[in-house]
Amino acid sequence: MAAPKFAFLLLNLISILPLLVSSFSVDRPTDRRILVLLDDLSLKSSHSLFFSSLKSRGFDLDFKLADDPAIAVKRYGQYMYDGLILLSPSTERFGGSLDVEGVLDFVDSGHDLIVAADANASDLIRNIAAECGVDFDEDPSAVVVDHSSYAVSETEGDHTLIAADDFIQSDVILGNKKIEAPVLFKGIGHSLNPANSMVLKALSASPSSYSTNPSSKLSSQPPSLYGTAISLVSVVQARNAARIMISGSLDMFSNRLFRAGVQKSGSLNKYEKSGNEQFITELSKWIFHERGHLKAVNLRHNKVGESEEPSMYRINDDLEFSVEIFEWSGSSWVPHVSKDVQVQFYMMSPYVLKTLSTNGKGLYHTSFKVPDVYGVFQFKVEYQKLGYTSLSLSKQIPVRPFKHNEYERFITTAFPYYGASFSMGNYVDVSTKYMIELQMAGFFIFSGVYLYNK
Amino acid sequence: MGRSATTKDAHALFHSLRSAYAATPNNLKIIDLYILFAVATAVIQVAYMAIVGSFPFNSFLSGVLSCVGTAVLAVSLRIQVNKDNKEFKDLPPERAFADFVLCNLVLHLVIINFLG
Repeated sequence: MAAPKFAFLLLNLISILPLLVSSFSVDRPTDRRILVLLDDLSLKSSHSLFFSSLKSRGFDLDFKLADDPAIAVKRYGQYMYDGLILLSPSTERFGGSLDVEGVLDFVDSGHDLIVAADANASDLIRNIAAECGVDFDEDPSAVVVDHSSYAVSETEGDHTLIAADDFIQSDVILGNKKIEAPVLFKGIGHSLNPANSMVLKALSASPSSYSTNPSSKLSSQPPSLYGTAISLVSVVQARNAARIMISGSLDMFSNRLFRAGVQKSGSLNKYEKSGNEQFITELSKWIFHERGHLKAVNLRHNKVGESEEPSMYRINDDLEFSVEIFEWSGSSWVPHVSKDVQVQFYMMSPYVLKTLSTNGKGLYHTSFKVPDVYGVFQFKVEYQKLGYTSLSLSKQIPVRPFKHNEYERFITTAFPYYGASFSMGNYVDVSTKYMIELQMAGFFIFSGVYLYNK
Repeated sequence: MGRSATTKDAHALFHSLRSAYAATPNNLKIIDLYILFAVATAVIQVAYMAIVGSFPFNSFLSGVLSCVGTAVLAVSLRIQVNKDNKEFKDLPPERAFADFVLCNLVLHLVIINFLG
């Protein structure tokens, strides 16, 4: 009865194969499989525009309720998803084997995350956000209120639906097209630690906003979060290129706000469609690595005039350095063109710092002279630009001093001394070698003749 | 009056020295000229070093000492060759010159090694 068992095993193996083939790989950085955790399955329809835009870009979405006991992001040590979307602000605990540690491990292994919080967000979501560098307002019932930048509407009069248009200035993160209409936002605000260099405000609140509970009286103390310190949507880019988006509003993703017209209070412009769809779509393109993902290959160096990489340089050598940098366009690697990639020749501090010039096809090159110091140096390229993955390349190379016969033979400042000693009757140098050889030859000839002459 | 007396004395001294020197034989005068040349070269080198700095110090020393060394050897040659010198009455001048050449050779061997 081994045959059916064998067939069963083969079937299992074959079923895993497609999973392996379509996984995230270094050659194709765009994510493919995304797990979406929802509070409520009705979100699938109330936020269908968002999900369908993701599906149309080729993502496989796997919808699960947040407390579904079958949730597992990892199986046999391998991650089954490339991205995670948490649209479950009120879930206290995830089902299955996922918890805060699990989500953080997922991000630490280089995968992407979108988290949406809302009024009365649970501690679970707040903790996940805090670990990512984002601090939500401690008062659980506080929402962002803005009395001079709210969206004009007939129904909602407590100014919790705000129209925000203070976007981060980055074509990589938000796309080339300017977002004309403000973004409608209704939810909680968060602040970022100013010492954290990896978290950025993608959508910032206006200076007149503050975070408070709209149904209770304002306390005598000023609110802890106010003004432009409030961030409505933040993005984090980790050093391993994992990207995280944290939004304080779940409604921002909904069809209702995607389709709604918007008029910011105090402004006469009335827009037919809010900027939500464009904002969320472009941001998700960046989060899931369809844009702004760099790779650097072929870091090469050689002496001017040679083509192989030497194992060691000598001081005052001339050398050439080149590296190729490509950017993922969503479907293929295209050359990345930039004017500010720099290379350092580094030993405890950069002795040489040069800006690389590019040929437009992704090749960056420069040439410089090895400094007059010997030791073990590194070629270092550290490239960190807003919105792009950071490049941190280094290659070690030793540099030796002159050999004893590589110094200049005659020192120009000493020519008068050479001249003086020669004028004093010193002709020994050039003639010494020959004189000595002649002497030796003469001595041998003389002794031969003398000894063997009868 | 004292001044004119001193200058007169200086002039007289200078003239007597000149006339006495004119009486020395020619071979000694040639040696004297060579010594003068060697010392002048040494002084020029020191002046050059004062301007440019002592960077290849070994070359500087070598150059100056070659000049000073040959000057010293020329002085000893002059002593041995001078007919008025009773100590070296029996020394043939060719022997003195041969000594001078050999010593110069040794000196310049060292000089050229140290010159760099």
